[in-house]
Amino acid sequence: MTTTLYEDRESVIHRLNPVTKLVAMLSIIIIVFAVQIWWVALGIIVFVVVPAAVVSGTGGRLLSLSLKLLLPILIVLVLLQGLFFPEGTTVLAEFGPARVTVEGLMFALGIGSRIAALVLCSLVLLLTTNPALLMTSLTQKGMSPKMSYVISSTLQIIPAFHTRAQSILLAQQARGLRLKGNPLRRAGALLPLVSPLVLGMFTDVEERSTAMEARGFSSPATHTSFVIVDDPLGQKIARWLIVAIAVTSVVLSLLGVFK
Amino acid sequence: MSTSHKPVEANKVRNRVFVAIGAVIIIATYLYLVLGQPSEFAEGDFGQASLIAIIGYLLGSVLIAVGTIHRLPTTTIALVPVAIAVNIVVGQISASIGLPIYLDSIGTILVGVLAGPAAGALTGALTNVIWGMTISPIALPFAVTAVVIGVLAGYAGRLGMFRRFYLAPIAGLITGIIAALVSSPIAAFIFGGATGGGNGAIVAAFRAVGNSLLASTTFQGLLSDPLDKVITFTIVVIILFALPSRFRSRFPFVREYNVFGKQSELAAPTRATRSGAASTDTTTSTVGDDSASADNGTTPRG
Repeated sequence: MTTTLYEDRESVIHRLNPVTKLVAMLSIIIIVFAVQIWWVALGIIVFVVVPAAVVSGTGGRLLSLSLKLLLPILIVLVLLQGLFFPEGTTVLAEFGPARVTVEGLMFALGIGSRIAALVLCSLVLLLTTNPALLMTSLTQKGMSPKMSYVISSTLQIIPAFHTRAQSILLAQQARGLRLKGNPLRRAGALLPLVSPLVLGMFTDVEERSTAMEARGFSSPATHTSFVIVDDPLGQKIARWLIVAIAVTSVVLSLLGVFK
Repeated sequence: MSTSHKPVEANKVRNRVFVAIGAVIIIATYLYLVLGQPSEFAEGDFGQASLIAIIGYLLGSVLIAVGTIHRLPTTTIALVPVAIAVNIVVGQISASIGLPIYLDSIGTILVGVLAGPAAGALTGALTNVIWGMTISPIALPFAVTAVVIGVLAGYAGRLGMFRRFYLAPIAGLITGIIAALVSSPIAAFIFGGATGGGNGAIVAAFRAVGNSLLASTTFQGLLSDPLDKVITFTIVVIILFALPSRFRSRFPFVREYNVFGKQSELAAPTRATRSGAASTDTTTSTVGDDSASADNGTTPRG
């Protein structure tokens, strides 16, 4: 199991300061949710997100990941809102309690385009950004080093934990644990897995916190960084610009301009 | 946000303000989404509901996470990553062996009970951030639900719901109901009710009878969340009771609020006479443990 989606490549998008990419991603998501017009969301996907993925050489992975993540949601969304939208008036077809309405389909289009923008933007960020570098640059921007410790070390622990959980599961199955049968029995099977996992976790924590204290983790002095992430002026300006656009779109939306 | 140069007191006030504003924003967002504009939703037009849902809930969760992380001692900070890993790994295994429940908050509840509501909130928020970074970005908007679960687990521990085996599932039931209420506006206004295959079918059934979208996602949540949390709290209380009491009483929060009743009194400050016996057990944890106890002003062991 791979922990992160990041792929090490060489491209303009990969070289951008991670904070710039994070700010851009959050701003785009806010703009899409503020402007609530389906073709704006689709336009952003087609003219911003997809070109960014192609330039960075992650287009193929973006396609397969987004199909895996988005397709089930979009299918459920279209079926749910297309067939069961009691508020809809323009009925296209009727099957018993299910009615296909224009309003329901438009509603599904609106929500679906926004979810797609949210997922695709996040995926481009994750595919092109080294999580360790993102944490370093966020710490340089003033985020607590504790926060970056928690996130970075979790990303490293998960694969080890996954392996440990699998081996516990195999060991318990060798002792006769059954994973098949009714849901209640399967839920019961989780307890022999979870208890050793959690008990092991306590031993880990003890060793880790001792090691961290020995290296001055909670020292109030300013922590220095091994890696200094480059942050050119152009990107700073670009960040403020896109944040300004996002704030403007929120204000306009709250004033009711996009109705 | 650097803590390095400023005096500690100023940071404490600032962190409290962050947590308070975060909580107010989350509550205001929820009230607005539920009570705000029912007439507008009825026409199928959400107005600003999805915008307010995503901004309010994310901003509130971020403020709470930023405000709580500074006051946690190193032992707790070291516990959070493993707890998040437990959440994610067990959640995935539960999904892969085909259980109808999520079981993705065992770590959050453990941390909440052992280290308090603040630590629980942080674990919850970062679980969803990391879930969003590794498995699916769809988890991100639901971070607020995980924050609420962590906080409630912490208060359940503080109120003594983990002193008796049978009280924990009741705390789980209450947590599950509140978690369902908090997450239903996210499912409705951000995802249009389509959060997963099976859930979508249940929402569709409620919609077919003529309920509003928010009501349908709320009913769907009330069908699955309380059951999930009852089972999760039961698993957590079984694990906690199986832990040696010196493990549990290592946490200042457990000692201060007597989370496990009589057993943890062994290590409580009032029984300092026993510390000679206790210290032989706990020599393995030295530095991290000391900083944790010093943070709380109680140093029962030498």
